Amino acid sequence: MRCGGYIPDGDSLFRQSVFPLAFKGPRYAHQKLLKLDYDEGSRSLLGSLTWGRYVPTTEFIHRYGCRLAFHMNEKSRAAGKFKEKDRRVYCGAYELKGKAIRALATSDELDEVLSADVVHHVEEGEIAHTDLRIVLKPGSANIEGTKTAIVVALWGGCSGPLRHKCDCDRGMAEHPSSSLTTAPAGDYSDTRSYWLRLWCIVRFQICNWLWQKNFWHP
Amino acid sequence: MLNYPVSIYRQAMVILDSSSKPSEASVAPYETVHVQLSATGFMGEMPTETLILATFSSVPVIWESELRQQEYQELGAALGEMTKLEEGDEWKIDPPVYNAACYVAAGLMVHSFPAPRIFNHGTKSVVFNWSYGADNMYLTISADHISALISSPERIKRRVEYSLNELTDPSTALQSVRTFLKKPVQRLASGAVTDPTEFVG
Repeated sequence: MRCGGYIPDGDSLFRQSVFPLAFKGPRYAHQKLLKLDYDEGSRSLLGSLTWGRYVPTTEFIHRYGCRLAFHMNEKSRAAGKFKEKDRRVYCGAYELKGKAIRALATSDELDEVLSADVVHHVEEGEIAHTDLRIVLKPGSANIEGTKTAIVVALWGGCSGPLRHKCDCDRGMAEHPSSSLTTAPAGDYSDTRSYWLRLWCIVRFQICNWLWQKNFWHP
Repeated sequence: MLNYPVSIYRQAMVILDSSSKPSEASVAPYETVHVQLSATGFMGEMPTETLILATFSSVPVIWESELRQQEYQELGAALGEMTKLEEGDEWKIDPPVYNAACYVAAGLMVHSFPAPRIFNHGTKSVVFNWSYGADNMYLTISADHISALISSPERIKRRVEYSLNELTDPSTALQSVRTFLKKPVQRLASGAVTDPTEFVG
């Protein structure tokens, strides 16, 4: 049994949608599915996703999302910048496969992409966190146009949403999760058999225990 | 007790595109129609013929460009607000991006294109977005580049890059928008916009 390592093409990756970051006003904006930052040194566009191996059920996916929004609000409070109207609210997640990310490097419409991969990288105590890393060819000048193309291409491979209301947001009169739109690949469907799902949960629990006890360092 | 209105102002409107010619006859801005109120609703006792006549006997005629102008003023205001946001705000854009976006927006408005939706990837770009059926068009505008992208829900259909030089005359980029929106070719008015920020700001 392996805990970390290479993320297989068939594995699910999830992108948590947080209000108001992925929204334009009250409406979900799929164009803001991902936040891509450019690292000039490595000529890479970097983003974040979560690996299905460490969020093995819908419940884990949503727990991650609720923690994400909570920590964003806490950081904002600590910096003295918190405003109630900008409070982060986790709304749900979209799924895409590892294969869809690696396909960016061979896409006819993304000539400037040298390689595209997703790598397991624990961040801020989150074992499910992965780095999306898209390396551009030397001489790629129009980074912003490339960001649009990547987001559009990845949105095309998304399924979902898996909508959710965190406990802390249940009192909201109009929860923004209702505005999440169905992704081009349709509704998310967990096609794993009962036994495979059980195995995924057991594997997650063992790996998580090994990591917590410092027996395994991802 | 409810206060029902005693008269209703019905506002129909004719919108002319740039190839149309407005009627010579003057038109009243609206017409007042008195209706009898019933317990079940306002219009129940009004004959259909009266409704139609009242609606279409006198309608204001406005140019499509006037409507567009309002949309673009809102767009300009939104872009202006994006430059004033605090550092670290997701929607903040840099002033050079604002200038480039205003320049392109002015060109779009001059040619009566529908105002786009906007979003950004950070401070270095603004993206103009239109939908046409299930397809989308994106113009990604940074301080020194424009790129056009047309996509269906499943895939990217086409991408075109425009360089800094083409920003001085955005008519090439506008051609992409025109093709996407299947708009008839109109006479280009290059050079008509001297200060685009005044136009849309």
